[in-house]
Amino acid sequence: MKNTHQAWERLVSAARSYPDERDVKAPYGFATRVAALAMAAERPVVSFVEHFSFRAMIAACSLAAVVVAANYSSIRSLYQEQTPVASDDPVAEMIDLAS
Amino acid sequence: MPDDQSFDLAGCLARVRIHDQIAARQLVEHLYPLVIRIVRAHLPRRVAEEDLAQEVFLKMFTRLEQYQGAVPFPHWVSRIALTTCIDHLRAQMRRPEYRWADLSENEAEVLEAITADESGAAPDEALEARELVHRLLDQLKPADRMVIQMLDLEQKTIAEISSLTGWNSSLVKVRAFRARRKLQKLFAELKKKEGS
Repeated sequence: MKNTHQAWERLVSAARSYPDERDVKAPYGFATRVAALAMAAERPVVSFVEHFSFRAMIAACSLAAVVVAANYSSIRSLYQEQTPVASDDPVAEMIDLAS
Repeated sequence: MPDDQSFDLAGCLARVRIHDQIAARQLVEHLYPLVIRIVRAHLPRRVAEEDLAQEVFLKMFTRLEQYQGAVPFPHWVSRIALTTCIDHLRAQMRRPEYRWADLSENEAEVLEAITADESGAAPDEALEARELVHRLLDQLKPADRMVIQMLDLEQKTIAEISSLTGWNSSLVKVRAFRARRKLQKLFAELKKKEGS
């Protein structure tokens, strides 16, 4: 067991003596590429769209409410005009006769 | 640790947080030596070091909002790099048991010299020794491998490993103990096969 430990110590000692002369500077274009990818990924596109979708929905609902309010009398009269048309219906006439 | 001491890390981080791409590029350039050393030391086979380094940096930018300053920023980045390497080592297909026949001629000579006498390997055999160490380390669990790599090859202290990984010192010691026991077993098996 002790021999094995010593053998491992000698092996790692030999391995450590191997000089690692590889460059540790970022390769050309690496930092630019990574920064661009990171910034593109970080931009909160979804929340931006969501934010404007919500605002657009509120605006659309408000506009619809304003349009309904402005044309309320027309809409109401249209509805009331439809009632006599319903009385042309033979079934409705029969019901009216029966009553 | 990055070499450039004059670099304004806090200012750069503040600019990165407001999506300044130039600051992001400067941050990557500043931290690259730190990250690439970790990646090279714990690089799984068949994974390109540049791809792994890129993954580490992208994780760093994604999680930047989580950085509270409790540890120095380079240590925080080191932890991201180490956990990314561990994830890749775990994903790596489990290698079959290492056999004497798998050794190259030079590696077998180095191992014979190491186990036979007290002098160790010759200086020109350092590359084979390094390759042999890495092949043996590949047989360990990723976290155990990392601890032995840092203790024996990088000669870091338990406290340094604890600080870099975020694991407490007891866990580092347990992992080192477990890894050494496994290495002894691997060594013993190799020697047995050499004899047969």
